[in-house]
Amino acid sequence: MAGTIFRLLLTNTTSAHKNITTIRSINTGTVFYAARKGTRAKARAKKIQVEVTKVGFIPHNQRGRKVVKTVVNKHFSDEHKAIPIDDVYPMKYYKWVVYTAEDAVKAHQETHHPTMFNAPDAFIFAKIEFNMTGIKQTRFMDSFTRLSLLPHPFPREEERTILAFCKGAELIKELQDAGATVAGGTDIIKKIQDGQIKLFEYDYVVAHPNILTDLVPIRGLMKKRFPNVRSGTLDPNLKELVKKFAGGIQYKVIKDEAQPSFGSVEVPVGRLNMEPKQVAENIGKLLKDVQAVRPKRDGLFVTRCLLVSPPSTEQLMIDPFVFVDRTLSKEVQDDSDDEDEPVAATA
Amino acid sequence: MFGLRASVMKSAIIVPTMFSQQTRNTFILRRRWPPPLHKKGGKVPKMKGRHFVYDLVEDTSVKKKPDIRIVLNQFVEGVGTTGDVLTLHLNKAYENFILPGLAVYANPENLEKYKTYEKRPLEENTHSSPFVKRTMDCLHRLVLRVTMSNSEPWTLQPWHLKASFRKSGFVVPESAIEMPPVQIKGPDPNLLDKEFYVTVTINKKEKVHVRCRIYHWAAGQEQLPFEESYWKKPKQPLIPEQAEVLQKFPYQNE
Repeated sequence: MAGTIFRLLLTNTTSAHKNITTIRSINTGTVFYAARKGTRAKARAKKIQVEVTKVGFIPHNQRGRKVVKTVVNKHFSDEHKAIPIDDVYPMKYYKWVVYTAEDAVKAHQETHHPTMFNAPDAFIFAKIEFNMTGIKQTRFMDSFTRLSLLPHPFPREEERTILAFCKGAELIKELQDAGATVAGGTDIIKKIQDGQIKLFEYDYVVAHPNILTDLVPIRGLMKKRFPNVRSGTLDPNLKELVKKFAGGIQYKVIKDEAQPSFGSVEVPVGRLNMEPKQVAENIGKLLKDVQAVRPKRDGLFVTRCLLVSPPSTEQLMIDPFVFVDRTLSKEVQDDSDDEDEPVAATA
Repeated sequence: MFGLRASVMKSAIIVPTMFSQQTRNTFILRRRWPPPLHKKGGKVPKMKGRHFVYDLVEDTSVKKKPDIRIVLNQFVEGVGTTGDVLTLHLNKAYENFILPGLAVYANPENLEKYKTYEKRPLEENTHSSPFVKRTMDCLHRLVLRVTMSNSEPWTLQPWHLKASFRKSGFVVPESAIEMPPVQIKGPDPNLLDKEFYVTVTINKKEKVHVRCRIYHWAAGQEQLPFEESYWKKPKQPLIPEQAEVLQKFPYQNE
């Protein structure tokens, strides 16, 4: 179109003034020729968002250098080691001894006996290692926090404050028995609004659905703490919830910075003065709880499980696949064909 | 394509046998143009220039040779006993086992000849297992730290030692431990600079002495001061009868 206008002007001018050839061009805006080489490529490159990877602190005299980092694979493998044939042998040349959970607890009880370390009520920690690869090989899970109630509780030093909302005097009393620090209904809501009860003092806030409408006025004050189904704080079965939040064990599976496919956690699962069978049941429940956030792909999720008990530095390996399956069953895998990324659950 | 493969041999110069050496340098080739056919027993047509044009299929000298299997014909320390089949690199197998006569190639006849049975009688003058010597050397060098309580009264039992071995990285069942002749009781400050030895029996046959030292454990403030490289410093014998044996133990010099 511009071309035609251009030509028309030219012809008009030449017809009117035959000796003078004046060319007037109009700036039309639309371009009928290709862009200069590199312009469109430049615009395309600008559109691509570069992923910014967090680099830790680098001292001033080491900046600008190309850092060559060799990443050690933290995933455990002793496939190349031999199986022991003698009854007495040094452990470093052979495959790790795999204990049952009960035997491992008994072994720790030996070293912590009053005649040896003299700590018969020490904690037993379960060190669990994970393969954090997601559905795609190049995408990994993030660190996640979970809370699980173990069947055999044991005394821990930390204390948790729970605020429970519900309607009904009997329910309130039940909840107070179950372990809520403060339980109540509309009277507590008023106290919060007045300022007598401070929300930040409480670790967890749980509520019954029937009182939800009354909680809405103080939603702004509660912000993150507002009970919702997704985080597990809103449930008709309040008694179970209070027990879970009061006595449950919170643990955070942290993925390794250098190797994102590796994640680990150290969870207290009991004390050495408990029965080994009870500790084994605790470990079983913990492993089953972790399976809920498992990515839907082939391969192992839990790679290794060790039992550790300070002040001893011993790490006794147990077989976690006694309690859980090694790989996902076929049906569960096929269910999630549309899922793009694994969603980490928070409880 | 006919897919005919021809081997290129070395040039057909007739040389006396003392100069001919074996060279394995087979090249696998393929003719690019098919050669002319002829009847059985009939006249072979003359081949033209194009029939001698070849394409290289494989150069066998650059292909990696697979590991070979060999069978041990005697007890070899640190490796195995009669009848054990090893898979090794060619050169290593030949230099270290076949040439010294410790093993033979694993063909069916040899496998049958040196076949092992579960309950075969132990060969004389050999250890009960190929790895016993290594275990004995490790235990001989070890200075076992037996951590006992500083507050509770105790008498040294085999299970204390078993737990201490496990902490130090050795699997030693209680039945394999032979306690010293004198009972050791504590907590006793006299035990601080003394050491004794226990006897460990491997596979119910071989015996080895292991030096032990008692460490009194107290949590927190009452802990003993840190002793650097305690295993390099010799100590006095706790039991006089054991003094002679304890003197012969090696100590690493700094």
